Amino acid sequence: MKIKLLLLAGASIVCAAVAIAAEKGSTKEGSKRSISLPAPSVFLKDGPGMDETRRYCGICHSLDYITTQQKFPKAKWQGVVNKMIKTYGAPIPDKDAKIIVDYISTNYGSGK
Amino acid sequence: MEFQGMTRRDFIKTVGITTAMAATGTIPSALYASERKLVAYPEKAELLLLTSRPPQLETPLQYFRELVTPNEALFVRWHLANIPTSVDLDTWRLRIHGNVAKQLSLSLDNLKKFEKVGYTAVIQCAGNGRSFFDPPVFGGQWLNGAMGNCTWGGVRLKDVLKSAGIKAGSTEVFFRGLDTAVLPTTPNFMKSLPLDKAQEDDIIIAYEMNGRELPMLNGFPVRLVVPGWYASYWVKSLSDIEVSVKPSSSFWMKTAYRIPDNPCGCVEPGTVPKKSVPINRMTTRSLMINPEDGTRLNSGQAIELMGLAFSGGYSIKEVLVSVDNGMSWQPARLGKDLGRYSWIQWFYPWQPVKAGNYRILVKATNSIGESQPFDGLWNPSGYLLNKVEKYNLTVG
Repeated sequence: MKIKLLLLAGASIVCAAVAIAAEKGSTKEGSKRSISLPAPSVFLKDGPGMDETRRYCGICHSLDYITTQQKFPKAKWQGVVNKMIKTYGAPIPDKDAKIIVDYISTNYGSGK
Repeated sequence: MEFQGMTRRDFIKTVGITTAMAATGTIPSALYASERKLVAYPEKAELLLLTSRPPQLETPLQYFRELVTPNEALFVRWHLANIPTSVDLDTWRLRIHGNVAKQLSLSLDNLKKFEKVGYTAVIQCAGNGRSFFDPPVFGGQWLNGAMGNCTWGGVRLKDVLKSAGIKAGSTEVFFRGLDTAVLPTTPNFMKSLPLDKAQEDDIIIAYEMNGRELPMLNGFPVRLVVPGWYASYWVKSLSDIEVSVKPSSSFWMKTAYRIPDNPCGCVEPGTVPKKSVPINRMTTRSLMINPEDGTRLNSGQAIELMGLAFSGGYSIKEVLVSVDNGMSWQPARLGKDLGRYSWIQWFYPWQPVKAGNYRILVKATNSIGESQPFDGLWNPSGYLLNKVEKYNLTVG
């Protein structure tokens, strides 16, 4: 009898835990399951154009999209920034696009 | 300028992992300086961070010592930053519409009333291993961790489509998820399958991964599973299925995720293919997982090399191992067979007696004779990587 009660108590603790967290890191309220994403924190090298790069590129994605790339020549980065504007509709004025290409190719490019 | 959120522990981990990788030559030198830290996202184990918004995380190779990849360890890859972080199953519905006799709006409970099926299947990002392309290509610089092998449970897509009643003249089925673009000018993610492909028995709408609910970051509450094909088709947080008369004109089918239209899916490095097709079935691959690349062994120590092999939906027939840089090859023993969509483990006992540097090569062949090229084939988007992998071990 005593053992049974202990088992029951144990089971109810397990059930309570399950009701709070569906999986480690998420919360469950009734039929709703939610997670909360960590905020991006990316280091960008200081230099002319860093602010524009942060402001415009950061609208749609974190800046590790830049820092985790391999070292590409300026022409490649020019193509990538054009693609962001033409294909993905990034609202980057021409003068800022040039500043961004210069910044990225200077700080993260191949130097060519 | 910002350097937030990086604790001393994170720093030590970052340094540890990049140093280990640099020492073993598993990542290109261009990546040493970048921050590849281990981070734990909600419901996930500590994975290698590629990008944080949208999240792209890859699985450290050690997890592949297991035949089945744990939910917590499976890689994460989203295209657009507005990803679902909250789903209420009371209001969530899977909509089936378009050229059908009867539109459906199914709750998860409704969906679960269809016959349940399941199997183990490799899920692999089209760009897995992209960082090893030579010359390098633009795109997510994945190592080899954008893959996994999971047991999927769900209902057949064709049963659901049949219930809606596909009308004559249909050619494709479109799939969309809960993720959306930040800007209205950015094309929302979607993928389509030809109607014949969509009606194959093995394509499922999965609500279970290894017997549990899907992690939110892997597509809760349901995702499409197209076994044998690259993961770009495995639309996460699937919410909308449209049967269409006209083929898709979406950027995600017409421009992105395309490969050269030839048998190798390759072109001369640095060139552009004349004609391309949507990426589809996976190429055959094999990797050594243990010991890790760059490991030092004692002379005379008996060990067992182990790894995995898979192909796009055809069982692995043979895995050959060379411990002398390709001079001679011996078949490895294959492990438990979980079916043609799963990867299979291979084992090769080895007792090197002579001190020195050894180069280990692994090469798999599937049941229809598809194998791996010795040198990497190249295409402009960095897809289909399946060259014979080379590993360095030091003895003595």
